Amino acid sequence: MRHSAQVAAATLVAVALVGTMASCSGKNSDSASDGKVTVNYWLWDDNQTASYQECADAFHTANPNITVKITQTAWAQYWQNLTTQLASGDAPDVWTDHVSYYPQLVSNNQILDIQPYVERDKVDLAQYQSGLADLFVKDGKRYGLPKDWDTMALVYNTDLLSKQGVDTAALSDLTWNPKDGGTLEQVIAKATVDKNGHNGLDPAFDKNNVKVFGFLPEWADGSQGQNGWGDFAVSDGFTFLDKNPWGSHYNYDDPKLADTIDWYKQLIAKGYTPKFDKQSTLGRDAVMDAGQGAITITGSWTINSYLSATAKQKYAFAPLPTGPAGRKTAINGLSDAIFAGTKHKEQAWQWVKFLGSSACQDLVAKNAVVFPAIKEASAKSLAAHQAKGQDVHVFTDEAAAPDGTFFLPVTDHGNEISQAVQDAVQSAILGQSDAASALKKANDTVNAMFK
Amino acid sequence: MAWAILIAAVLVTVFPFYWMLRTALTPSADLFSDAGSLWPRHPTLINFERVLGMTSPEEARAAGGSGAQINFLWYTLNSVIYSGVIAIVQTFFCAMAGYAFARLRFPGRDLIFGVLVAALMVPPIFTLLPNFALVKNLGLMNTFAGLVAPSVLMTPFAVFFLRQFFLSIPKEVEEAAVLDGVNRWGAFWRIIVPMSRGPLITIGLTTTVWAWKDFLWPLLVGRAEDTRVLTVALGVFLQQSPNTQPDWTGLMAGSTLSVLPVLILLIFLGKRLVQSLNFTGIK
Repeated sequence: MRHSAQVAAATLVAVALVGTMASCSGKNSDSASDGKVTVNYWLWDDNQTASYQECADAFHTANPNITVKITQTAWAQYWQNLTTQLASGDAPDVWTDHVSYYPQLVSNNQILDIQPYVERDKVDLAQYQSGLADLFVKDGKRYGLPKDWDTMALVYNTDLLSKQGVDTAALSDLTWNPKDGGTLEQVIAKATVDKNGHNGLDPAFDKNNVKVFGFLPEWADGSQGQNGWGDFAVSDGFTFLDKNPWGSHYNYDDPKLADTIDWYKQLIAKGYTPKFDKQSTLGRDAVMDAGQGAITITGSWTINSYLSATAKQKYAFAPLPTGPAGRKTAINGLSDAIFAGTKHKEQAWQWVKFLGSSACQDLVAKNAVVFPAIKEASAKSLAAHQAKGQDVHVFTDEAAAPDGTFFLPVTDHGNEISQAVQDAVQSAILGQSDAASALKKANDTVNAMFK
Repeated sequence: MAWAILIAAVLVTVFPFYWMLRTALTPSADLFSDAGSLWPRHPTLINFERVLGMTSPEEARAAGGSGAQINFLWYTLNSVIYSGVIAIVQTFFCAMAGYAFARLRFPGRDLIFGVLVAALMVPPIFTLLPNFALVKNLGLMNTFAGLVAPSVLMTPFAVFFLRQFFLSIPKEVEEAAVLDGVNRWGAFWRIIVPMSRGPLITIGLTTTVWAWKDFLWPLLVGRAEDTRVLTVALGVFLQQSPNTQPDWTGLMAGSTLSVLPVLILLIFLGKRLVQSLNFTGIK
């Protein structure tokens, strides 16, 4: 008995060691001798994997020698994984890129400059939503072609608002200012309900026992406040930077930003939004789905989770409110970057060019998931949404409105800035310090990075 | 009174497991609407089906999960190889080292042992980067060899633990064996090892459990498909895109399944482990 156990153990060790040796040949990008090449491509959104797989198949049909292998990695791990793989020399040939993260990669010389290729193949940069292509240019070098764009809007629970007698048609003309919150705050107050059924405008409203919050803020919002405070502050006349992209002086000490944060604080004080520590761990979409939130701000990339046939509540979208300086939404676009160290520069470029062309973007549009960067494809995407019975025109209207959009700041030190400003905003919301001085301090820290 | 404390301790220990199971059995749609109920109102196995790849991405999304796919059995196999190799090889080598420190005399023995025990004080995070650089330069990224490299030969704790145990075995047992004409190796292999089955299984088990739940190192070194272990693979259920919630139910179903193999191992070996720890040598 004991003897056989020893034999078994020894065999197991041997088998395991052989297995170890045998699997030593797993290398990433591989080119076979017959000129066939595999290009590894990374993206994060599971909602978009299918669309890009269609693109990859179409691309492979057109270029039989190039196979695209798509790896989807959840957003929560995407950048960690990418930087680790870059450090270990196993980076994918092409990956989906984001404005907040790419400057860091550029300063580490990890992204290929595609300007020469763009000039050689005469890629028409005017076909994209205006300004998107320029986001990925630094010092005359180009680090990606735009693939899509997103804008922000209000998303609301239609049943909860109608129950409170809110006229949802009027939601498209809401106003906002940091002093009294404009008509937006009126709607938020009306949509907030305590456990006795009193809403926020009722003198009997019990702010300590709220059943439905009128508005859900996002506090994990980096240095940009894309999902709320950033859009509001800009609509009050705030600007992030001296110049964008590649500015070197931030204006986080602008009182307009502090006013915006203070407006949020008084929403909490009135009981219209959850306390920071009560909401921080759950995604806002989870609270909305549970029917405990009436309105929040969301980006167009979440359209399908809010409007899908299986959504747990009935939702609709409304444009962001108009502030003292007009209606402003952040507009952001993703691009596709080529790894500077790729062994297959030409094949990777062919794939990126295909991703940035209408051949692929029309396929993406047809699936009505995101708005492609090419203007015609955007229109097709809107039509595809309408065909699915999804009313999402507010996103495209906002994108088309003259002077209605602003780009998220693109500078070096993105990660550190994100942390510093987010900490300042959170400490103000928690009441550990007042907004003005917290932001002033963060701004000094941020601007010192560019000295 | 003692029983009350014991029961309370067990509850505190088991409750997180229970909650994991309960979340795994909850349909995604109910997750936040009745977060307080102790038992899912509409228990379902859909999350387990999703984890085991029995649904299409469309069905998974309809069930309220992410469309992420995971090749569960493949990653389980990787985890088995990873923890199996580490547990078996490490236990074997640590037993030899522990025996040497306990029984053999050689110059600098106590100094070396002191250094080894001092190594216990070094937090693992300290050695992470040097190890990573080393594995990368050796060209062992994304191989099992690179994965097991830092811990497969020994850990100071296992050597220390086994040495203490061997010290407690009476010398007379071995002396008797030597009189019968057994050499050092025979004494170790035929006398000490069988007598120490308990502690050896204990070390093997703790090492297995430790390797099974190891996350950071495999994440850094073994991300490729053919070396990805379960803990790393479960990451597909995390937040898919900014401002969305993680796929909690899928994550918990996956976690529940990933605990099972180790749990079974403990159930089968746990009893023998307790018994054999009580027995030391001379009856």
